[in-house]
Amino acid sequence: MKPWKRKSINRESKMKQKVIFMGFILFIFTAVYAFSNTELERLDNSVFEKPQRPSAVFEHDDHNEMAEIDDCAVCHHVYEGKELVEDESSEDSLCSDCHSLKPDQENSISLSVAYHKQCRDCHFEENKGPVLCGECHIKE
Amino acid sequence: MNAFIDFIMGPMVWIAFLIFILGLILKIVLIIKDVNARESYIYSYMTLKHSLRSIFAWLIPFFPQSTRQSPVFYSISYIFHLLLFIVPIFLTSHIVLVNEAFQVSWIALDDGLADILTVMVVLALVFFTIRRVMVPEVKYLTSTKDYILILIVALPFITGFLAYHQFFLYRPMVIAHVISGEIMLILIPFSRFSHMIVAPLTRAYMGSEFGNVRHAKDW
Repeated sequence: MKPWKRKSINRESKMKQKVIFMGFILFIFTAVYAFSNTELERLDNSVFEKPQRPSAVFEHDDHNEMAEIDDCAVCHHVYEGKELVEDESSEDSLCSDCHSLKPDQENSISLSVAYHKQCRDCHFEENKGPVLCGECHIKE
Repeated sequence: MNAFIDFIMGPMVWIAFLIFILGLILKIVLIIKDVNARESYIYSYMTLKHSLRSIFAWLIPFFPQSTRQSPVFYSISYIFHLLLFIVPIFLTSHIVLVNEAFQVSWIALDDGLADILTVMVVLALVFFTIRRVMVPEVKYLTSTKDYILILIVALPFITGFLAYHQFFLYRPMVIAHVISGEIMLILIPFSRFSHMIVAPLTRAYMGSEFGNVRHAKDW
C-alpha cells in the first residue's frame, strides 16, 4: 500500500475513535442526568381541586440567595384591612389562611392571583426571573 | 427581556384592540359614506325587516340552499368560525390574565379539551389551504394574499399549542404567540378578515334587494 493511502486510513480510523469516544461521553452524561434525582422543588398546590397546570417550580432558598432577599416579609407579608403592616411577617401561616380559592369579602385577592402577582410583578420590576405561564408551571 | 414581554402583554394589547375596534368602526363609516355618495338610492328599498330576515337565515347552519350543496366545506367552515372565537375567549390562561388585569372572570374550557379544539382549528385551516389549491373555481379567485391571511390566523393557534406543550423554545414561542395574535387583531379592519362586520351588511343589502324588490328569498 502506498504511504499516502495508509496515512488517510489512519486519519479516518482516528476520526472514528474520536466519534466513538465522544458518543460514549455523551451517553454517560445522559445516563447520569436521567438517573440522578433532579426532582424540582414545587409549591404545594393541594388546596386546588382540579389544577389545570402542574404546580409552580420554586426553589425557595436558591431563589432568595440569588435575589438577595433576607427579609421574609418581602413575600410573607401581613395586611390588616388594606394596610400593609410593616416589620411583621407571616411565614408561620399558610398563604391559603388569608387568600381563599375565590375572592371573598375578607380578601379580594384569590390564592392563585396572589401568587401570580407576587412573583410576576416583582420579576417585571426587577426585569429578571420567569414571567410567562410555563416558566413556573413547568411540565412534569 | 422582561421589559419587552411587559410591553407586548401590556400596552401592545391595548393598542391592538383599539386598532381592531376603531378600525372596524372606521370601516363601517367609510362603507356608508361610499354608498351615500354613489348608490344612495338603495335606501329606498332597504328595510330592517328584510335585512334581519336574511342575516338570520344565513346564520342557521344549512338553511340556505347553496350551503347544502357543499356540506363538507360548510360543516368545516361553521365549526372553524365558532372555534375561532370560543377557543381564545374561553381559554383558561387567557381568562387568568384578564382576571388579574380587570378582576372579572368567566367559565373556562378544560385545558385538555381546548388543546383538541386548537388542533381542529389548525386542521380546518389546512383544509381551506388545500381547497384553495385543488378546487379550480376557488383557485381562480385565490391570490398570495389569501395564503398569507390563512397563515396569520394559523400562527396564534400553532404557537399557542406548541407553547402550551412546552416542546421547545418556550419563551420565544409565547412571544411569537402574543405578537401573532396582535397582528391578527390589527389586520382585521384592513383585510378580508373584515367580513366579520361587512358580511352582515352584504346580507342586509341582498336581503332587501331580493325580499323587497324581487319578492324572493335570498337563501
